[in-house]
Amino acid sequence: MRRWLPWCGFGVLFLGVGLLAELSWRRARLCLPEIGRRQLEPTVGQGVLLGTLGGFRTVVADFTWIRGYVLWEQKTDRAGTELLMRTACALDPRSRFFWENTGLSIANDMAHWEIRRRGGYAKVPRDIQEHVFRTYARRGLDLLDEGIVSTGGSPALLASAALVAELQLKDLALSADYYRRAAETRGAPWFAARFAAANLWKLDRRREAYDWYRAHWLKTLRLEEDGSPDDLKELRDMEQELRLPWLARLPRQSWEMAQPGLPAMSSENVTTKPPVGGQSRK
Amino acid sequence: MKAALSRCLWIARITFLEAIRQRFFAFLFVLGAVLVLSSSAIRVFDFGHSELKFIADFGFGGLFLFGSMLGVVMTAQLFFAELDNRTALTLLAKPLGRGEFLVGKFLGTWAVLGVFVIALAGLLGVMLGWRAAELAAIAAERRLSPPEFDAAGLGLFALLQWLRLGVVVAMVLTVAAAARTFLFAVVVGALAVLAGQLQWLSQDLLLKPAEAGLGRVALWLLTHLLPNLQQFNLGDALVLAPHQVQDGTLPWVFASGLAYIVAFLALASFLFRRREI
Amino acid sequence: MKAGPSISVRNLTKDFRIGLKGLKLRAVDDLSLSIPRGQVFGLLGPNGCGKSTTLKIILGLVTATSGEIAILGLPSATPAARARTGFLPEAPYFHKFLSGRELVRYCAHLSGVPSNRVEAAVDEALALVAMAEASERLVGTYSKGMLQRIGLAQAIVHDPELVILDEPTAGVDPVGAAAIGRIIEAMRVRGKTVVLCSHLLGQVEQVCDRVAIMDKGRLVLEGAVEEVLERRDRHVLTVADLTPAALAAAETALAAHGARLGSVTHPRRSLEELFRELVTGSRDA
Repeated sequence: MRRWLPWCGFGVLFLGVGLLAELSWRRARLCLPEIGRRQLEPTVGQGVLLGTLGGFRTVVADFTWIRGYVLWEQKTDRAGTELLMRTACALDPRSRFFWENTGLSIANDMAHWEIRRRGGYAKVPRDIQEHVFRTYARRGLDLLDEGIVSTGGSPALLASAALVAELQLKDLALSADYYRRAAETRGAPWFAARFAAANLWKLDRRREAYDWYRAHWLKTLRLEEDGSPDDLKELRDMEQELRLPWLARLPRQSWEMAQPGLPAMSSENVTTKPPVGGQSRK
Repeated sequence: MKAALSRCLWIARITFLEAIRQRFFAFLFVLGAVLVLSSSAIRVFDFGHSELKFIADFGFGGLFLFGSMLGVVMTAQLFFAELDNRTALTLLAKPLGRGEFLVGKFLGTWAVLGVFVIALAGLLGVMLGWRAAELAAIAAERRLSPPEFDAAGLGLFALLQWLRLGVVVAMVLTVAAAARTFLFAVVVGALAVLAGQLQWLSQDLLLKPAEAGLGRVALWLLTHLLPNLQQFNLGDALVLAPHQVQDGTLPWVFASGLAYIVAFLALASFLFRRREI
Repeated sequence: MKAGPSISVRNLTKDFRIGLKGLKLRAVDDLSLSIPRGQVFGLLGPNGCGKSTTLKIILGLVTATSGEIAILGLPSATPAARARTGFLPEAPYFHKFLSGRELVRYCAHLSGVPSNRVEAAVDEALALVAMAEASERLVGTYSKGMLQRIGLAQAIVHDPELVILDEPTAGVDPVGAAAIGRIIEAMRVRGKTVVLCSHLLGQVEQVCDRVAIMDKGRLVLEGAVEEVLERRDRHVLTVADLTPAALAAAETALAAHGARLGSVTHPRRSLEELFRELVTGSRDA
């Protein structure tokens, strides 16, 4: 018994230190999005790479991407292409580039490869084709969703997801939601708000489209350097279509008064933010 | 106590002098430096990361890979050199405790690794600073926000890597204290480091809800006996996104690293105390 | 009060486990030995007899299977006992990048010499071993003899009461060996106890006060050099006094031949002869 006593003591010591390490890890893993962001399965292999490569993982991600890109150009090995691209994403989950291109490749390209593999468009029935398109679009969108979480809500990824939802899934509501989220993110693309409103408009949710677009313009777009005149023009068109009473419409901007073809308004509706330059595209 | 510390420091001093003269150290340092310097040249292979991140990752990778190699091989080599050359005979015949001898070897080796980490991190800092200045000028021309890195974060990361290497040295010393040959110590030490790098996988598995069973108990034991070395790899967050590091994280990581060092050195002293020289 | 022995070994046994089956090799077999203070003690034996193992056990470098060992009244495997002991191993190896002075200084600090006394102790030790002039050279440039002397210096820098030397003259030329012999004599004059393991029996015979001979892990013989070397089974007759009756007859006979018996002494053999007689017989076969 006396011989085992020291070993028991060391066991207790290491278990105590292990508990301290566990508490430390719970905090540290939150700083490692590639680890703390999601459940592990089925990424145990990716977890091994993360653990063993250290800082080199992003360099390995780059070369993995190159290999995946070479296969993408050949368009023959769908599974290999997808695996390499997904590996690059897992190795460097903070990189928007990998998520965006992988998601768009899966959503836009791989369905066509699959149909060609099955015999071509002439041979594969139309409904099967639709099913394949939708399946791959959904997979691409799921991957983009993961990328959005990993990158902390990249507006570019949100915009790409919106595009996939609109063009591949034909889901305007989902697309509008993505565009809206993109517009409300810092660094949003210039078209995000406009397309969000446009898609809602197409769904006949016109009032909702206008209300959101108006609120967003007042809160964010109006504060742009040029006052976002193109968005304001869209809002004016919406106001016309909705036949809103004058008082319910956005107040005239002083720089609008300087443009020909606009109806006159009473002075109390005029705000005085001067434009900087004319119309502009961001 | 003061006398014991003095003896440990003397062993550490001579160990440091011996280690710093080794060609292996110089070779790995040069390799790491070349890697960091070359990051700027091969950034054409960078896809979508910020340039600073690409350069930083080269530095992180060099510190991680070459630091680990140095930690494992040099620790085993410095320990077995004393035994094989029989300098240990002369030393341990003096009023020098076995634990003091091991602590001295640890401190000397850890100090050499500190030099390695500081030098490589310093070089990385110079590269990042230089490139950040260039990119800031370009960003100003294009009226974009300039990329930034946190120099203080780089210092903290260097400290974390040094601490990680301290845990590696203590682990390898424990293996060496029980091993009969240098090769065995290196191989088992390297495997232990690898296991430490992957230990987070089992930790994360435990965090997922599951039914208790023998496998889960075994997993729990494993995660608490092996150190988690992945927790020290916070370079990305510290250097490029310091806002992602929550308050209170670093003190816990430091405490856990120091605790493992003390525990492994205690175990090594116990294993070494009855070893026949 | 009479001081106890410098080293006291009682019923020391050491077994080594060898091979996968864990077979035991008995290196030291029930050894009991007492080494008095202030003398030069020679521990002799053929290769593999267990003397190096015994020394290592005394110094705490190897653990005994059974038995008790005390150094200067203290249990041997303790730092306190080693604080008063100096050791020069066989074929010593030191860090080549240190100079002789740096090496001795390093050992002085490890041996507990107070910081304010270190330099003086180092100078003293280097002077004793006649290495003062070469002390600034790197140890890697030393000859065998110089290495042994610098090894002696590191062993005595802290002024230990007991000095253990394992083959201090191995590989050293006769001049160097003689120099080391003088150093050992100087240590004895200073009242130190020196335990000497050596194969140079001629030197041991000259330098040592007492010797012990080991063979196959056992103590074969132990005693003062003069005593063990005497041949008590024979007599050397010097014509002078030869008492009692047997001697008288010889004397009468010698007197009848006109000779005078001067003295009767015991014949002396050399240590080498004794050594060969006791231990090398089976090996020569």
